[in-house]
Amino acid sequence: MERLKIRVVGHSGYGGLLSTGSIIAKALEHLGFYVVADREYPSLIKGGTSCFTINASRESINSLSARPDILVAIDKPCLLKYFKTLNDGGTLVHGYERLSGITEILEEAVKRDINVAHLNGREITHEAGGSERMKNVVLIGMLWKVLGLPYETIADQIKDQFASKPNIIPPNLKCAKLGYERTETFKTIELPKNKPKTAFMDGNYALALGAIHAGVRAYYAYPMSPSTHLLTHMANHAKEFGYVVKQAEDEITVANLALGSMHAGTRALCATSGGGFDLMTETVSLSGTIETPFVCCLFQRPGPATGLPTWTAQGDLNLAMHGGHGEFARMVIAASDPTDHFELIQHALNFAEEFQMPVILLSDKVSAEQYVSVPPLQQNTIPIKRGLVAKQDLEKLKNTDRFEVTESGLSKRWLPGETEAYYFANGDEHDSEGILDEEETAGDMYAKRIRKLDFAANSVPEPKIYGENKNADISFVGWGSTKGPLLDAINDAKANGLRVNYLHYSFVSPLKTDTLNQFFADNKNVHLAEGNYTGQLGNLIEQQTQNRFKGRMLKWNGRPFFTEDLDKYIKENK
Amino acid sequence: MTTPKLQALVDAQKIYNDYTLRDDNINWWCGGCGNYPIQNALKRALSLEGLGRRDVMFCFDVGCSGNGSDKIEANTIHGLHGRVLPLAAGFKIANHKMQVIAEAGDGATFSEGIAHLAHAVRNDYPVLFILHDNQNYALTTGQPSALTPKCQSMNCAPEGLEIEPFHPLEVVLGLKPSFVAQTCSADIDHMTETIQKGLAHKGFAFINVLQACPTYNKFITHEWYLEHIQRLPEEHDPTDMESARKYAFSSDPFYLGQIYHNPERQNFLETVAHRDENSARLIDEVAHQDISRLLAKF
Repeated sequence: MERLKIRVVGHSGYGGLLSTGSIIAKALEHLGFYVVADREYPSLIKGGTSCFTINASRESINSLSARPDILVAIDKPCLLKYFKTLNDGGTLVHGYERLSGITEILEEAVKRDINVAHLNGREITHEAGGSERMKNVVLIGMLWKVLGLPYETIADQIKDQFASKPNIIPPNLKCAKLGYERTETFKTIELPKNKPKTAFMDGNYALALGAIHAGVRAYYAYPMSPSTHLLTHMANHAKEFGYVVKQAEDEITVANLALGSMHAGTRALCATSGGGFDLMTETVSLSGTIETPFVCCLFQRPGPATGLPTWTAQGDLNLAMHGGHGEFARMVIAASDPTDHFELIQHALNFAEEFQMPVILLSDKVSAEQYVSVPPLQQNTIPIKRGLVAKQDLEKLKNTDRFEVTESGLSKRWLPGETEAYYFANGDEHDSEGILDEEETAGDMYAKRIRKLDFAANSVPEPKIYGENKNADISFVGWGSTKGPLLDAINDAKANGLRVNYLHYSFVSPLKTDTLNQFFADNKNVHLAEGNYTGQLGNLIEQQTQNRFKGRMLKWNGRPFFTEDLDKYIKENK
Repeated sequence: MTTPKLQALVDAQKIYNDYTLRDDNINWWCGGCGNYPIQNALKRALSLEGLGRRDVMFCFDVGCSGNGSDKIEANTIHGLHGRVLPLAAGFKIANHKMQVIAEAGDGATFSEGIAHLAHAVRNDYPVLFILHDNQNYALTTGQPSALTPKCQSMNCAPEGLEIEPFHPLEVVLGLKPSFVAQTCSADIDHMTETIQKGLAHKGFAFINVLQACPTYNKFITHEWYLEHIQRLPEEHDPTDMESARKYAFSSDPFYLGQIYHNPERQNFLETVAHRDENSARLIDEVAHQDISRLLAKF
């Protein structure tokens, strides 16, 4: 698939890297391209080296390329660091004034057939009557001309970006205009036609929208990357929608606040990353025992310990599945793109309430923060299911209905204080109304709670196959954020006459295996794709089924799978 | 014809009986344990305030006090060691029309749970908190807690610990609380009236109950307490922090009563400016929210 591959590089927090990337990405989206954009940044506030990568295509794309064809460098240290990632024959756009300081780069550019678009950014900002901080906008103007795109399309986006500070719009526009006028066009790109309407958003925001839409009335969190943006979004919209947001003193508190609110009977949500989830696990176990719904979003980043705080990973599947002492039923769901985040949080809340168990929704840094063009989100497509006793039946309830040992394992749930019947939600092993039970029969309640998972599994969807179902040259199985790169690999392979297909798990645990078994029967070269070292889903599948993977495509260096990774792996293993 | 006063007593008795339906004559605490009179006083206070089973949520920590979680006929939740305060606060935030009562021992509260206590005071969550202060970890067989007197021989500390204990009231008064009271498990009437005051408080009500533990704290029995407790003098003004500190820090005698009260303080729910504390409960608001305005930006 043809891609426009741009990377903007600059210090974090200085020079407008984020606004530059955002303006370019959104302007391309408005021109009708499908866009994917993501930021790589260090765990610090100002300084360090950071980049914003943008891919655009006339067809739908879902992942990024590791190497750009165009590098836009805001400052020298980042130019020096990222120049090597620029493809041969590509274009460098920069505004660095002392060319004698980068002679090696310029010599290498000639050797590697790289075009250089250069203006003295600082001088132009003065000429435009702006501040030197606007050098990045000069570069935006230059980039737009390099690509031969109409000036108005970027001017509109600049106005939009600075709408809240109208006094800085005219000098910024002037900077862009001068940059545009004094640059040559190196390549013209065909503009897209007739792209259906899309929404350009990240997973975090989509998740917030899903949670608000699904009636979450209390949100609790403690800041931790990459879950923090969700707290930001939930806090920003709290007033408009009237729900409560509380940043608590630690993740143990967060989990207990959420569990307490759920027990009262509202919809509460919390989110964290691996380290915070470690702290929550005792509460997850409590939720399992007292059969009070609990939903936590676990945004993965590489561990162990502090790990790589601002990078991505899929290393916490085992944690989500097994964190917490004792044996109890739980569900684990994993989100990939923004649409997924919007929909799966609604399913997570439904499952938690219907089946009275903890549900962990996994995401990761890339899924949560990467912007993708997706079809507009649709409201009211997923009904709210609360699994509560109907109002007219409340008066008939007995205390012992609450934890009655049933065949399905599911018993009646109602809210404390809503009727005369009452119960003891007891973290100790208990009988059908919650009274401490240490008799030999205590195991019956234990089994009832776990049995519930088999019952719940009937409502869990099978994994989904992308590409042709059968006879692929190479097949993959994955979950969460591997979906985007695999969808792109299927399309790219088609262009090369190769058949690739992919089986994707959104609902990871309980593991559904019918479609999986058929997939292995119908395809002879099935590989695992996961962002971790040990192949956690792969191990689960090989433990629970007879299927064996031909190979494992694994990555654990904090980066997501890029298109280059897939190209290489497919070439070597097809 | 019954007088209103008599009727109120009859009603109170009915509520008390509701909380005490089952009496299977099995002991679940040691003979002479302060937990029996504390639970009794709690039921009395609720009965006198007309708060029945449907009006109250009881939240229990883990420990000897937590073993009362299924010994009172009501809606209860028995959570994790040290974590009862956020659990109770979460419940209250979602359903502020129920009275939420949290109970925990000093072991849990001043060790694993001390951050939760500090932030519960800071946030002024509208929860009545009863601290079962028996100055040791009783259910784990008598280890020293953060409130055990210095150098007192205990299980796992045969020579005692040469570490200064926390003073519970000093800790809490330092956190700018809205309500602090002290009472004693040797005095049911005083506990009852103190809990009633706590129930009437709109924010976080911290009640320290000096509690006898006849098995592991042989030195502080109910008899000992009766000789060392005294009601706060009339002239004490609970809104005066200086006076509060003076009486709080006395250990001979221990002063019982409402030590500190700040009726002006905003509770947590009142700080959520976009919600009307007296109106709907979060539990009644679970429904699809229309997010069209947010979607329109894309």
